[in-house]
Amino acid sequence: MITRRTALLTGTAALLTPLAARATDPGYHLKPAEIADGVWLIEGAQDSFAPANGGAICNIVMLRTDQGAVVIDSGGTALHGAALRDFADQRLGGVAATLNTHHHPDHWFGNQAFADRPILALPATRGLQAQNAQALSEGLYRILGGWMRGTVPLPAATAVTGGNMVIGGRELRLLALSGHSQADLALLDPTTGTLIAGDLLFLDRAPSFPDADLDAWRGALDRLAAIPASGIVPGHGPFMRDSRAFAQTRAYLDAFQDRLGRAADLGLAPAETLAAGPMPEFAGLGANPEEYHRAVVQRWRDFEDMALPLIGGTA
Amino acid sequence: MMSAFLCDRLANGAAALAQYGGGIAPVTAPDSDPFDSGMWELHRLEYLGDPPDWRADPRMRVLTPRNAEDASHVPIMVDATGLTDPVTRIVITIDYSPLPLALIFHPGRALPLLGFGVKYEIAGPIRATALADGVPARMGGAFIDAMGGGCSAPAVAHTRPDWQQGFGEMRGRLFPDSGRLRVNIRHPMDTGLADGIPAHHLTDLQLLDAQGAPIARIELRHPVEENPTLTFALPPDLALGPVRIEARDSNGYRFSGEVRA
Ligand SMILES: [Zn+2]
Repeated sequence: MITRRTALLTGTAALLTPLAARATDPGYHLKPAEIADGVWLIEGAQDSFAPANGGAICNIVMLRTDQGAVVIDSGGTALHGAALRDFADQRLGGVAATLNTHHHPDHWFGNQAFADRPILALPATRGLQAQNAQALSEGLYRILGGWMRGTVPLPAATAVTGGNMVIGGRELRLLALSGHSQADLALLDPTTGTLIAGDLLFLDRAPSFPDADLDAWRGALDRLAAIPASGIVPGHGPFMRDSRAFAQTRAYLDAFQDRLGRAADLGLAPAETLAAGPMPEFAGLGANPEEYHRAVVQRWRDFEDMALPLIGGTA
Repeated sequence: MMSAFLCDRLANGAAALAQYGGGIAPVTAPDSDPFDSGMWELHRLEYLGDPPDWRADPRMRVLTPRNAEDASHVPIMVDATGLTDPVTRIVITIDYSPLPLALIFHPGRALPLLGFGVKYEIAGPIRATALADGVPARMGGAFIDAMGGGCSAPAVAHTRPDWQQGFGEMRGRLFPDSGRLRVNIRHPMDTGLADGIPAHHLTDLQLLDAQGAPIARIELRHPVEENPTLTFALPPDLALGPVRIEARDSNGYRFSGEVRA
């Protein structure tokens, strides 16, 4: 009984005391890599938010310009953002501007460290940042504890739309898409041909679906795939010079839709569908089975609505 | 362990379920609470009629997510088909909910299996206890952590839809091949705890056969999710349908629908 008692106490303690007391953060140790001329990638952990990674889970890209770095996504906490800012200041001559690809917190909770320079996002992203900042922040404080110290989410101040843009002499092509979330910004760096896809692409890490619209997502993949690129940075997962991230993300979306559609059509309940685990071919991806479990809860109603016809109403 | 769960209908689902678990671990002392929670004694008294004899029984299987990813919709499935003793009611209680009683299921002629969703704000155990005269109460459960962990952790705050739109709409389907019956009702299931919104929830739902005779019944309470979906399992004869579904709520509204094979 001692082990069970301990397990319960741990659970209760997690609930009652701020986690800040629990996590001792060893700091963020960035490993930036120059993947193309003037294109730096700081790769995120291929995992979910956890004390072990301090929320540094998404890929951050910095493009060198005459006026400093163009920073694409700002990290998951204020401290993470500050570490990224240090790198930009020391190695890239400061920051020219920051872009947030979408409103999920791992991509913009580091904005504070970049607030002295323009922070840009799609209009819908800005709205969702403002609307969800508090709920997202509360959740992350509970998960990350001390890593979140000083984090006050700061939505992007400036709206951008798709199209070409020049920052610090470097041309950028912005693509306004959606599907992973309500508004997803992808970027092409025409100088090197590097495509920075945000969370529209995942590689070796299970895609997340809290705001997914699978059909729109596939449409966005079609548009991105039509762009000739020399290398691809997914939102989560390694940089590649081939199109593996496209094939894998598309296959995952199809397989997920197929599995949940089948489950709803066989009369399974969501708890059973969750416990049945991810599609076998994707069971080994980073963040699975947890990401699949979450996705079932997040997306179940979409499939249930299709599987259950109208049979009655108020008598 | 045997179960009536249908996880095995999905590729690798049986193996994943075995790994996932579902319900409490076998206990050495059957009358000790595997969750060691002070609420259990109180809830036995208040909601289970203070049964003279009870045990923690791993054959009462309870499938839940480990984390309440979406605190307003936590999917639960209870399977008491592994019990050999009779089951006349299954009572669902949530240890640390301000309103601990979620529902009472009277399986009647249906199998003692039920899928449903609950609201979950505070980490702790959810329990399913099978009751019948002359046998001990048999309790199973699962611990649900209230922390989410997704890309948008926690689930993005929900904007309340106008409840009158589509209010009472009933969706459902009978799956004769598996005996499953699933039914969804559009209903706000308001707890009365939120400022300015009075309690308004479904109180009772019944399944009736072609002759109008009752099959199964559920007494529903506030912790059940908004727009609830319920999953039943029927024996082969009843799974041929038709089955009539009738429900009532706390404001006197009535709802009905019918599913055919
Ligand atoms: Zn995302």
